[in-house]
Amino acid sequence: MSHDGIHPEPTSFLRKHVFSVDHKVIAKQFMWFGLVWLLIGGLMAMMIRWQLANPGEPFPVLGKLLWPHTEGVISPDVYNMLFSMHGTIMIFLGLTPLLIGAWGNYCIPLMIGARDMIFPTLNMLSFWTVVAGGAVGFYSLFVPLGALEAGWTGYPPLSSTVGTQGSGETLWAVAVFLIGASSIMGGINYITTIVRLRAPGMTWGRMPLTVWGLFFTAVLNVLFLPVIGSAMLLLILDRVFGTQFYVAATFSSGGGGDPILYQHLFWIFGHPEVYILILPAWGIVGDLLSFYARKPAFGYRVTVGAMFAVTVLSALVYGHHMFTTGLSAMLGESFMLLTMIISVPGEILFFNWLHTIWKGSLRMTTAMCFSLGVIFVFGLGGLTGLYLATISTDIFLHDTYFVVGHFHLTMAASALFGAFAGLYHWMPKMFGRFLDERLGLLHFWTTIVPLTIVFCTMFVSGYAGMPRRYADPTSAPYVAELQGLNTITSIAAFILGAAQLLFAYNFIKSRWWGKKCTEDNPWQVGTLEWTIPSPAPHYNFKEIPTVVTGPHEFSHPALGPDRDWISQTEPLPGTSPEPSSPAAPGAPVTA
Amino acid sequence: MTTNVALMPAVDTPPESNRSRVDASLGMALFIGSWAMAFATMFLAFLVLRQRQEVWPPQGVALPSFAMAALATVVLLASSVTMHRAVVLGARGERGFARWWSATLALALGFAAIQSWLWVDLWGNGRLPHSGVYESTFYGLTWFHALHVAVGLIALIVGLIGIARTRYGAQHMNVPRNIGVFWHFVDVVWVVLFVTFFVF
Repeated sequence: MSHDGIHPEPTSFLRKHVFSVDHKVIAKQFMWFGLVWLLIGGLMAMMIRWQLANPGEPFPVLGKLLWPHTEGVISPDVYNMLFSMHGTIMIFLGLTPLLIGAWGNYCIPLMIGARDMIFPTLNMLSFWTVVAGGAVGFYSLFVPLGALEAGWTGYPPLSSTVGTQGSGETLWAVAVFLIGASSIMGGINYITTIVRLRAPGMTWGRMPLTVWGLFFTAVLNVLFLPVIGSAMLLLILDRVFGTQFYVAATFSSGGGGDPILYQHLFWIFGHPEVYILILPAWGIVGDLLSFYARKPAFGYRVTVGAMFAVTVLSALVYGHHMFTTGLSAMLGESFMLLTMIISVPGEILFFNWLHTIWKGSLRMTTAMCFSLGVIFVFGLGGLTGLYLATISTDIFLHDTYFVVGHFHLTMAASALFGAFAGLYHWMPKMFGRFLDERLGLLHFWTTIVPLTIVFCTMFVSGYAGMPRRYADPTSAPYVAELQGLNTITSIAAFILGAAQLLFAYNFIKSRWWGKKCTEDNPWQVGTLEWTIPSPAPHYNFKEIPTVVTGPHEFSHPALGPDRDWISQTEPLPGTSPEPSSPAAPGAPVTA
Repeated sequence: MTTNVALMPAVDTPPESNRSRVDASLGMALFIGSWAMAFATMFLAFLVLRQRQEVWPPQGVALPSFAMAALATVVLLASSVTMHRAVVLGARGERGFARWWSATLALALGFAAIQSWLWVDLWGNGRLPHSGVYESTFYGLTWFHALHVAVGLIALIVGLIGIARTRYGAQHMNVPRNIGVFWHFVDVVWVVLFVTFFVF
């Protein structure tokens, strides 16, 4: 346990860069880890799209290296592994480390005015546990009989020893367990830090929305990651020790378990997981829209309330993933109703975002573009969600490309855009260098246009009946007719993939050779991380700041004509400064 | 408050503040909440599968001994009492800290022995994890619980070493107190397991 998260600056290389307990270093570790895995998962997406556009054609260049026995052709079982591991990698090893690991670690202490996380060693452990999970997952790609083939959800009996032999599937379960443990450690750290280490005056009502989003995510992580952990343990027991938790009662298997039980356990976790990924993005967007529109965040308290409502509701809707399992009609209708209710706080968030930018003086930086992009892609994804929440339409759309388009827009694209917005925004504070804005805007447009085409054509092909997870869409006559749409999707996907290489180039170039940020506050915003030098020094704050203003006091009339922003540590002109806090710096403040 | 000077930490670590006590307790409470969800998942799986069975427990075969399981429950509950006593005395800086802590460790080892006996007995009767749903859930749940007992045992030993070296004492109770919280949690889970598995 550290005393207020303070520890001396390490001197050895290992302590400084590898086994660091500094939240800023851990954030960067999480960021690199997530970016590398996004690249691997993205490459798998390219292979999937290649197969769907040109079934039976060898994958160019890499194909012959990876699958010499088929001369580069993606065989059906390899195709199964690709889409299964693509989902697992993107969710657990790409977006989770990037959004929650990197932005959670970086932003929480800096934005609430703390010197570090409250449990720095636990924080380090959290990172190295996810590395262990990633290593096991990576190793599972190369074991005999291959990796997970049952889809990222790993439903039995496909994922039982009846469905998949070999150790790949077991190792996948171990990896998910480890990654879950890492998220729990992170979540406990985030919650305790936010509750206990807020600077004097940083009341709950003055916290930036980013911190609120990360806080709710941490709560969901702590509550629901253990559920998937236990579900994975039972799957491992079934596979290794022959227990019968998920083995259906049939004469030949002699089991008395239930594969549907797994689906319940998986989705009790799985639906909150969607919001685990999207809440930090919502928080970041809520802040950045206000920062770059130079206006206060509209309805700050209502936005927080809506995020809280979504957090609660997210735990009550998982049954909408299981409408086709023979769920009782009453349960199904309850889940349908509860799912529909989520759109109410969802709409509130949208209206608040739109009101925030309404008549603002928008600064169209790349970070702002990606924030607006989140509104756009999440809007598309949210609207199509209504069709999937409705039992009568979901029965027909279940397991089609409609679903694939829907969840990619909501949890994948929105979360990714939120992470990108954060990267372009906090890069100067993290590394003391800006990302190239020209390349950034090019990256934005070459991302959002093909991305919209990719997932919207999926809506069309899915509505026409194209099923998920078919290795060869030309094999069934009615699906073969949709091959034109599949080809359009794939071409757009390749452009989308290439655009990410543009980002990789920009990131590497800017990280080491980009334009230097010499100011503390290049974006002219009020939150606490911009009151200290860029890049942030080892101890973050020389003195723990005293907060007297909200995070989004832009264009306040009292500020006069020359300046449109005010730091959270400055009182608004004309208002009497708050009575100075009697508590010592670093002492807890209750709202 | 009677403070035994002999048990005050010899090292020059500053006393823990009330603030750090709350920090540590909050972190531990969240951990316990998370673990409770993991066990709740296990119990959910068990109860769902159990209510599907027409006959429970299975008839005409050897079952784990109720008497031994009840004894294990008594031993574990006793260890919770001794643990509570140890933490109370430790916070007062009294000599009984180490004694009661050792008693807890002894009782914990006793529980581990009875638990092992239950497994060996059942296994010896040819009832293996893959024999049926009853065995699946019995081994699955007790293994998962035993994993936490093992962690608890390690923590108890580490705590005892710390007490012996006077690293813990009246002003340094965060670690022993949270080991205690974890141990009580392990007990509560066992009681739920005993009631759902053996009693009803």
